[in-house]
Amino acid sequence: MHHSLSMPETTLNARITYDDPLWFKDAVLYELHVRSFQDSDGDGIGDFRGLIERLGYLADLGVNILWLLPFYPSPLKDDGYDISNFTDIHPSYGTLDDFRKFLEEAHRRRLYVLTELVLNHTSDQHPWFQQARASRDNPLRNYYVWSDDREKYPGARIIFTDTEASNWAWDPISKQYYWHRFFSHQPDLNYDNPEVLEEIWRVMKFWLDLGVDAFRLDAVPYLIERAGTNCENLPETHAVLRTLRSRLERSYPGRFLLAEANQWPTDVRAYFGDGNECHVAFHFPLMPRIFMSVRLEDRKPIVEIMERTPAIPENCQWATFLRNHDELTLEMVTDVERDYLYDEYANDRMMRLNVGIRRRLSPLLENDRRRVELLNGILLSFPGSPVIYYGDEIGMGDNVYLGDRNGVRTPMQWSGGWNAGFSTADPEKLCMPIVSNAVYGYQAVNVESQRRSLHSLLSWTTRIIRIRKSTRVFSRGTLEFLKPQNHHVLAYVRQYRRDIVLAVNNLSSCAQAVELDLSQFHGLIPIEMFGGNPFPRIDQRPYLLTLGPYQFFWFRLRQI
Amino acid sequence: MGDLLFKSLTETMSRLSDMVASFLPRLIAMAIIIIAGAIVAWILKVVVRRILRLIKFDQLSETTGFTRLLTQSALPSPADLLARFVFWVAWFAFLLLGLNALGIEALNNEIGRFFDVLPQIFVAILILFVGVVIANFFGRATLLGAVNANAPSPRLLSSMVRFVIIALAVTMALERIGLGQGVVLMAFSIAFGAVMFGLALAFGLGGRDAARRLLEKRFLEDKKKDDDEGISQL
Amino acid sequence: MDSIVSDEFLRQITAIGQVDVLVSVPTADNRHTIEHAVNAVQIGLAKYFPRERTALMNVDAQSRDGTPEIVREAAVRDFQSYLAPTPLRSSPIITASCHPSLGQAGALRLTLTAADLLRAKACAIVSPDVASLTPEWIDALLRPIYREGLDQLTPIYQRHRFAGLLVRNILAPVVGAVYGYEIEEPAPDEISFSGVLACHLLAQDVWQESFMRSGALMWLTTTALAGNFRVGQSFLGPKVFAARHFSPSLAETMQSAVGALFKSMEEHQAFWRQRTSSQAVPLFGFPVDVEIGSAHLNRKKMFEMFRSGANAISSILAEILSSPTLDAVLQAANTADDHCYFSDELWTKVVYEFAASYHRGVMNRDHLLQALIPVYRGRISSYLWENRGAHLEELRKRREVLHLEFERMKPYLIEKWFGET
Repeated sequence: MHHSLSMPETTLNARITYDDPLWFKDAVLYELHVRSFQDSDGDGIGDFRGLIERLGYLADLGVNILWLLPFYPSPLKDDGYDISNFTDIHPSYGTLDDFRKFLEEAHRRRLYVLTELVLNHTSDQHPWFQQARASRDNPLRNYYVWSDDREKYPGARIIFTDTEASNWAWDPISKQYYWHRFFSHQPDLNYDNPEVLEEIWRVMKFWLDLGVDAFRLDAVPYLIERAGTNCENLPETHAVLRTLRSRLERSYPGRFLLAEANQWPTDVRAYFGDGNECHVAFHFPLMPRIFMSVRLEDRKPIVEIMERTPAIPENCQWATFLRNHDELTLEMVTDVERDYLYDEYANDRMMRLNVGIRRRLSPLLENDRRRVELLNGILLSFPGSPVIYYGDEIGMGDNVYLGDRNGVRTPMQWSGGWNAGFSTADPEKLCMPIVSNAVYGYQAVNVESQRRSLHSLLSWTTRIIRIRKSTRVFSRGTLEFLKPQNHHVLAYVRQYRRDIVLAVNNLSSCAQAVELDLSQFHGLIPIEMFGGNPFPRIDQRPYLLTLGPYQFFWFRLRQI
Repeated sequence: MGDLLFKSLTETMSRLSDMVASFLPRLIAMAIIIIAGAIVAWILKVVVRRILRLIKFDQLSETTGFTRLLTQSALPSPADLLARFVFWVAWFAFLLLGLNALGIEALNNEIGRFFDVLPQIFVAILILFVGVVIANFFGRATLLGAVNANAPSPRLLSSMVRFVIIALAVTMALERIGLGQGVVLMAFSIAFGAVMFGLALAFGLGGRDAARRLLEKRFLEDKKKDDDEGISQL
Repeated sequence: MDSIVSDEFLRQITAIGQVDVLVSVPTADNRHTIEHAVNAVQIGLAKYFPRERTALMNVDAQSRDGTPEIVREAAVRDFQSYLAPTPLRSSPIITASCHPSLGQAGALRLTLTAADLLRAKACAIVSPDVASLTPEWIDALLRPIYREGLDQLTPIYQRHRFAGLLVRNILAPVVGAVYGYEIEEPAPDEISFSGVLACHLLAQDVWQESFMRSGALMWLTTTALAGNFRVGQSFLGPKVFAARHFSPSLAETMQSAVGALFKSMEEHQAFWRQRTSSQAVPLFGFPVDVEIGSAHLNRKKMFEMFRSGANAISSILAEILSSPTLDAVLQAANTADDHCYFSDELWTKVVYEFAASYHRGVMNRDHLLQALIPVYRGRISSYLWENRGAHLEELRKRREVLHLEFERMKPYLIEKWFGET
């Protein structure tokens, strides 16, 4: 079945409904921060009312799912991942009524909403923890993990190596250590206590009843601790996920869970279970390898990681991304690869954080439009549901001089006007300074100016998303690598039912000639998907293509 | 009487003057031909010498051992020699042409015969030359090959090869000018065995490397182990 | 237009595009040793050039024992166990073939062509015949080129004390004196060079010459010297040939190596005529003085062959050598002892006169080189006699003395070479 490119966008989006239980497989996600997106009341902080104003923009961009970073009441020591109340909205962002209104408006535009479910830990300001630490015999004491011995679970690594020295923190009130895998102000919940699970399910129900379509399960590998293990990916953790999944399935069919597990694909595979745990999981190791491949000008890293990626159940999907709100994590690469990536992408030590690089897509690629397009081309033609990080569609820059990961969380640049159109407040009052240098600043990079040009990055991104969604072959098709002699060229065939797409990417900064063995498709005519021009018919001989620097082609192979 | 005498005298004189008048132009023609021939031959010589220098004929012949043959015979350089040769042949041809212009019947026949044989003489000289050069070359190759392979009596071997090839060349040259066909045949049949031997040797030395290896294997089985070949020279 | 670049070769080059480092392994029926060589190169590249774009190249002289197939299959399964990181990039292998009749020159020319087309910064040639080839050689050969900006690197091996007699007695001293650079192995099996030098060499009009068949690397060394390229030497460690190594006969070696040397001298006469002093070149690596292996050389037999040979070809030698030199040689040959004394001075004169006669073309050049063999045997037998109990240190000193002699006598060479006959 072939889909015409000119099919109206609304009908394309309409195809994704709960009627198709696998609707999430065809999604394009857009990750945004309410705080940094749009301020409606002039207090310098983005809010839900502002976000509602910008839903038209997001619908035009063609994304399906809005992934909102945490917007719950929080002391904001970890960008909202330290939640002090699971069932409310942070006052800076609006009220629950604002949120309801937002959900309604988003759904009206066929935009679905994915929120954060931080189930591993709470803020130390959360009432649960306040009660638990009050005394050792408090009924909520068992909601958290306590120990007198700070050497317990020595197998567990420390994740935030730059700030934390131990996974245990001393509680001076109850005079015991509490367990935390992340910051010390984020005590881990104790999932060995069935009460905790029930509490979390109540939280989920709260949001599902409001109309939230999906959850991102933050830090799932770390739910359970066991002596003698590294306290990651334990069977008990999977049991928790299976319980939540089955309840979700029963009461809210069509909604889905997205697992955040920064692990090797073979380990992440377990979070899909037999199709009875998470619906979607991030593919972490692919991302650094895409960056590595384009710097090495060699397809090897990408091909290797994809060949090491196990098959997943039919009703599951990978989520892929180039950049997100965290640092470009380098945990899933070898030492040699990490050193290489550091040297090539983060020469300045300021750019490094923990085991990663805190930079946005455009600065990572030296503002090279060709490479930005190439990487997006690879991402959008690969298996999995792609995630676009807000601002990357216009090539926004970052500010590495802001602490932690805030450098990639600066306000969205809407226009060249006052505060980049983000807020009417005084610039000094903004929650985060707007990037204002000559290259990436809001006067050079903003939505308004890019909307005017058909050839801007924004217009291009809109177009490629539309092409991606014109066929299910990208979201559901098989992946088969072609291995031409020219290893600068990454070429693969995606196939779904009778739809065949050939993607050819030149990873190198030089023009390349490549001969592809397409004999299995002989007789078919390649139609270039951006322009729609037919190319010479495929025959038994090697198919010769020439590609300019960082150029890529998508061909639909048609039997005409 | 006086009249008669005068008449016969004048007749004789006029006949003589007629004869002289008819012979003199031929003589002059001959002289002109010979002189022009000399000039043409000289120009030819210069041109040939130039060309040979241009193509570095001397160096070419050096490598074949031809020069050495000449230096041994106290002859000038091969290019010079060839140029001189061309001069003399050309001039001689003009000389004969000039004689021919005299129109003397008997002489003309002899000249014609000479021109018939001339190419054969040429070829014979050439064969002899090439034969000597080849004989020298293979004689030396045999000597060096045998010495380096530590073969017995290298000088004898070398002389044999040289003799056989020269003998072959001489018989071929004689046969070319048609002298002593019988002798040639006899000499050839006598020398046949020797010639075949020489050819075999020459052929073997043509594929020097193979032959040398063969020789070394044949004569120096033990040498391989404990001689200078036992260790890499490089 | 005839091209040495076949379509298939070009296709492989096109696919690779550009490399930083290229290593070429020329083969001819090396089934038994090729896998070791290729793996050593692959590990060396992974270990010492982990980030660079690298390629391995095999130029095969139409082996009939399946050598190219082994090269194509050769892959290191587990780099970790060799203390090397898994390569970041694909590791392409270029396979090319050349006609066996082209010899060394065929492989060298294709390697240079590949280096040129791939814009390699550094390129090395290693021989599959050497059993002691290790990944470290790749580092030793390529790093000074790639990082230090040298243009050519010749190796220094640890070998048996009497290995490389031809090198010690003719090639090295002549190169030292004539070209003015002290190079220990001017005709090596392994060599490395920069991309710039590769282009320079490729442009030379020598590829049809017969001496290139087996003297190509000798020519390469001298051409780099004559072109004022930055040259250096690198310690590689022990050099042990594989068991099945076919070592060519003395006559072949003489013809190729010394032939290439004399021919090169002819090509570069304008260069070396001006040079008056000799200079050392930069050394890389860690030298170790250990004698390896043992070989019995039959000195007496060598002397006998000198005696009979020199007398037998005295008429030929008379055309090559001046009469005082010839007399001295024959006198040495006809000594009453069972050994001779062949002085450094006499030997220097012999070599220089042979070189000059080669240049002047007194006879067929193959013959001339063959005529050198009996005299060389005399020199070697004398050398072995004099050094029969010498330590490595004494050998080195003697080598220096010989080099000085060649240098001192250079005016004699110039006189003979350029003087009128």
